[in-house]
Amino acid sequence: MPDTADFLRLEKLQVHFPIQGGLFDRVLGRPAGTVRAVDGIDLDVGRGEIVALVGESGSGKTTVGRVITKLAHPTGGRLLFEGHDMTSERGASALRPYRHRVQMIFQDAYQALNPRHTVFDIVAEPLRSLRLVKNDTQLAERVSEALASAGLNPPGDFFARFPHELSGGQRQRVVIAGALAVRPELIVADEPVSMLDVSIRSQILQVLVDLRDKHNMALLFITHDLPLAWLIADRIAVLYLGRLVEIGRADDITFNPRHPYTVALSNATPKVRVGVSHIDLPALEGEVPSAARIPKGCRFHPRCPMAIDRCRQEDPPAVEVGPQHMSACWRAGEVKARSELLGVARSSSVEPLERRLVSSLVKDRCRSSISAEAGVPDLPDPIRGP
Amino acid sequence: MSESTVQSLSRGRTRALKNFLRQFLGHGGAQLGLLCLVLFLVMAAVPNILVGPLQTAINATGDFLASPSSQHLLGTDEVGRDVLNLVVHGARISLTIALLATVISLIVGTTVGMTAGYFGRWVDDWLMRLTDFFFVMPSFVLALVITPVVLEVMGRGGEILGFRPSLFVIIVVIGMTSWAFVARIVRSQTLSLRERTFIDRARVAGSSNLSIMVRHILPNLVPQIAANGALVVAGAIYVETSLSFLGLGDPLQPSWGTLLSLAQSAGAASAGAWWYLGAPGLCVLTVSLSFVLIGNALDDTFNPRRRVIP
Repeated sequence: MPDTADFLRLEKLQVHFPIQGGLFDRVLGRPAGTVRAVDGIDLDVGRGEIVALVGESGSGKTTVGRVITKLAHPTGGRLLFEGHDMTSERGASALRPYRHRVQMIFQDAYQALNPRHTVFDIVAEPLRSLRLVKNDTQLAERVSEALASAGLNPPGDFFARFPHELSGGQRQRVVIAGALAVRPELIVADEPVSMLDVSIRSQILQVLVDLRDKHNMALLFITHDLPLAWLIADRIAVLYLGRLVEIGRADDITFNPRHPYTVALSNATPKVRVGVSHIDLPALEGEVPSAARIPKGCRFHPRCPMAIDRCRQEDPPAVEVGPQHMSACWRAGEVKARSELLGVARSSSVEPLERRLVSSLVKDRCRSSISAEAGVPDLPDPIRGP
Repeated sequence: MSESTVQSLSRGRTRALKNFLRQFLGHGGAQLGLLCLVLFLVMAAVPNILVGPLQTAINATGDFLASPSSQHLLGTDEVGRDVLNLVVHGARISLTIALLATVISLIVGTTVGMTAGYFGRWVDDWLMRLTDFFFVMPSFVLALVITPVVLEVMGRGGEILGFRPSLFVIIVVIGMTSWAFVARIVRSQTLSLRERTFIDRARVAGSSNLSIMVRHILPNLVPQIAANGALVVAGAIYVETSLSFLGLGDPLQPSWGTLLSLAQSAGAASAGAWWYLGAPGLCVLTVSLSFVLIGNALDDTFNPRRRVIP
């Protein structure tokens, strides 16, 4: 297990956005309220660890990523990097050493590349801004290296291209290359594959996993896709309305969830084999409530199929429900009982679409986790055959 | 950087430029506008070769208010100067004033608009109030007030930055009253650009605010600036003409507006000397029109979505 002590730590992180009221409200000094995008999150990421942040839209997962990359400023709590408090550091020059070590991969590769810059300029930008190279030869070398490790070969062919001349997968690789160029120690990847065709997702994921293996780089992988998180991550943190509801090892969260929301999330994933029915909870109804009006008590209770009176009154704290496994639910114990009843269903309940498509990556995972546990025979590789 | 890299980089730029030129020159309006403009630029560049030195009352060659003939293609004015000679020499003054005023207006407007849009909040509030102030200020009134004061202080003879005071005042006044329009357009475009993800990416890459503005926002503003710049030139020519017509021009360096003013005071309209009024008037019209045509063509070329609508 990677060393989690003091690499990246979020302590009670809060990001509240004030709602801009109308002129009338402002004149009368009436407060217009706040949107509590992130509302008290504690999270550790270890050196070389892949942590997935999972949640629906509006759960605050992107905001957490933006706080870590210093694009958004927290209104409360602390952001610690190797024990240094980075919460209130601002300004491009003050943040340079931090930027050198923490980079970001953006979700929408169409938007994340300046249409008027060439691929070379795009990838070279952090190297120039952070003053990491001495001369142009070195710059060209570093850019080539970054493009090559993001899978754009031969790198020289891409130097003079403009973003509109590239395919979606190539653009995402350019975004990744831009983050890699500075050789960071932590990359925040905000849904790096959600805009891509399913056929190239696995290649991009492979690039990310390779980086961890080769350079011991930590990765905070933000996604709304639980099976994808399970594929790539060591640990998964599930977010709901700006709060962590469950965190634990990827396998625990996927096969042994202790929070009704996590269960609901995994139920919401399309299954390939629909043989045995899955964990016996009705699907979620409704939408995530507005972060400007967070419900009293447990913030999940209006949509929770297991809600009791206590949930409506008191906010549940995160409690340890297993090794490295925390859940913020008053009835965490009961969630366990229900899912164990259906232990047999496990192997088939996590048969998401992705797993058939992400070939090599999946096979490692399948062998180490499911097949060993539930005794499922090796799945034939859909691409290369059995 | 290796040599091949430099080569391939410049090849990419050349290709983009070629594409742009092909689209731009395919535009009928742009062709017409450029043709007229080149004609007038040649006139402005070498007036002495085309029509000889500027005629004054002393070296005037013709009759008074003679109608067009083979000797004087555009007739003569009330002191016998050749109108063609005056119009060709006027091109240099008119175009210089218009282009310099546009440069001032674009530099000020872009800086103010981009700063306001990028930083937002109180910077935006203050800069936009300042813009509003210049927006509502009528250039005529401002020029009418400033010009006599400057002329009084400097005298007509001196020079400010190589310009005769009255020309300089007109340039500055036109520049200062037309930038507000540019600032508003640049600000609105900056507001939308700054929310784009590539600005966030630049920030994560460690770029400073100044570098983000210069390297990321400004290049994306070029289409708006170029297209509106052409319109600002047209407006500047028009304002210059009007100011000179009101007598604020420099009689020793006649622009088209000054000629119109002279024609008016010589009673050209009532005397039936259509050539005296018509020649400079037509020049003003043609140059303004060609800048507007070029501006519209640039706008169309830079904005592919507009091309869909006929």
